[in-house]
Amino acid sequence: MTAVPVLLAPAGSRQAVAAALDAGADAVYVGLKGWSRGGARRELDWDELVAAQREAASAGGRLQVAINTIPKARERAQLFERIPGLLDLGIDEVIVNDVGMLAALRKRFPGLRLTAGIGCGAQTVADVAFFRDLGAHAVVLPGTVSPAEMREIRTVHGIAVEIMIHMVEEFVLLGKCWMPSYVHLKPSPLPSLFRSQTGDGDDAPEGALSGLRQTGSMKRGGVGACFRICQQSWELYVGGRRVDARLFPSRQISRIAEVKAYAEAGVDVLKLQGRSLPVELLAPLVRRYREAIDARTVPAADEVRSAALPATWAVVGR
Amino acid sequence: MSPAISQFELNTTIANLRDLRESDLRDYDGVYLGDIYCRIYEANFLEQPDDLKEGLRILQDQGKRAYVTTYAGPRNDFLPRVRKMLEASAAAGAEAVEVHNLGILKIAHDEFPQLPVHIGGFANVYTAPGVEVLREFGAVRFTPNYELSLDEINEITTACGAPMELLVHGKMPLGISDYCFLLDYEEKWGVKCPDLCQKELFLKQGDWAMKSVGKGILSGKDVCMLEHLPRLLAEGHRYFRIETVSETPAYRSEVAAVYRAALNRVAAGDGEVDEGWWETVRRHARIGLCNGFYFGRSGMDYAGVRPDAIGSLLTISRAES
Repeated sequence: MTAVPVLLAPAGSRQAVAAALDAGADAVYVGLKGWSRGGARRELDWDELVAAQREAASAGGRLQVAINTIPKARERAQLFERIPGLLDLGIDEVIVNDVGMLAALRKRFPGLRLTAGIGCGAQTVADVAFFRDLGAHAVVLPGTVSPAEMREIRTVHGIAVEIMIHMVEEFVLLGKCWMPSYVHLKPSPLPSLFRSQTGDGDDAPEGALSGLRQTGSMKRGGVGACFRICQQSWELYVGGRRVDARLFPSRQISRIAEVKAYAEAGVDVLKLQGRSLPVELLAPLVRRYREAIDARTVPAADEVRSAALPATWAVVGR
Repeated sequence: MSPAISQFELNTTIANLRDLRESDLRDYDGVYLGDIYCRIYEANFLEQPDDLKEGLRILQDQGKRAYVTTYAGPRNDFLPRVRKMLEASAAAGAEAVEVHNLGILKIAHDEFPQLPVHIGGFANVYTAPGVEVLREFGAVRFTPNYELSLDEINEITTACGAPMELLVHGKMPLGISDYCFLLDYEEKWGVKCPDLCQKELFLKQGDWAMKSVGKGILSGKDVCMLEHLPRLLAEGHRYFRIETVSETPAYRSEVAAVYRAALNRVAAGDGEVDEGWWETVRRHARIGLCNGFYFGRSGMDYAGVRPDAIGSLLTISRAES
């Protein structure tokens, strides 16, 4: 019998966590303020994280935390000091974006369940085997990977496989883009974090996190990390002559009609992209995927309730 | 010449046998064979085992270090071919294989342990712990992510002593796609793949531009570290890449001659840059020079004493010579 995949929803606020769980998500992932890639997306500070975890636990759901920037050595040490706090809250699932972070967290915190996030760039059966060998508990693949490819990928055992079944596919592969920083890279101070956790009010506590985020770096994260360069119009020059003005191809991937095919291929988690989605868009999106999972039969294409979001939900809305 | 800094390596990339045969490689120590972006790039070494063997033989006959690169964004259906090319590379005596993708790294490590692995720029080496992970999979040389500054690179080398290969000149990879948008123009231009990406293609947005090679996006400006070679050698770097996969044989040979002469001069204790060298690199750079990432700035910035290096976007639309 085919196992029922977990539905993993995004959330950028306490309200979104509650809405996603109420709409049928089994688990929700959130960004930890200052440490999650893509500053345009909503992140939760410590108080919000505590509340969200309570919310998830009382609803019988699980909360995952994205720590998917690539901190430098000093920042990394300070981040590691905070991981026990996450574990004390009952949060043991963390999403990372870098093999070094994954290996370092695995070594120091064997109790963590580590997911190689979509920014790790896994697409193949060999990539999945690599992350299994590295000690990841799960790996996220983009929704461009078909159920047929997934069947081959699922010949790799010992690691859970997640598919970002609803996402925006940009022209450049995720985790393989540094166009924004080519145009504009500006170091910016890290926000003061964990104040509530340490109870020191507005004054930065001794040893408070300090350092720089590389604004403009998609991989390293930070406020305004992506300038949506790929979504703006280009002039194309060929041999020195202007021949066209155009956009890079980009599309919203919604593979809701293939939920059963992915489940039969052995996918463990169906993940939705969009931590900045407002509640009024997030809840119906989650609900429709919940319905598709629960249907357990292949719906004919015209019976599938569309999960498409407005076209304006592009890069900024991921 | 100081023995401590005399043994640097200058290398480049060549995608196919035609380009290899047309190139004067006298100023290079090593060459990576293959196009990392596209399986149907014209006669890509990575799809032509016989060509690859012949290419490796040509390099070996010239006394060059013969390397093979691999795809940066593979899918499942690439992997049988990747295995074939790794097998051919090992059989033909390739000195190392360059890997941009972690799955291919695992294949190389598990199935071809005799092949040393160099880590390419798309593998996202950002930190010392990242280097240590890749070392466990057999990697011996590392191209740091292009975004890293020299200070950040030196932090890594200080922490783990890893040899770094630095892009010193040429168009810097900025991204890779699953999709070639140039296919949209086959009918309109009357040009079919794989000839589409042989054209000189730039994408301009406001006051900046990038070069397109179909599935690959490169910097519009040429990275240039000519005036910073003394620092690179002083900081212990020995492996230098001139990225010419999308350039002409003339670019490949003339820019290499400049860097060979400049590196030899620096190694002899003289860091002065000849005016003729500047003229050569400026002539080959379509829209100027850049090196900002190495100095903690935007990638298209230029840090140095040559204000003329910045170039002008106006040159993007000059007539082809």
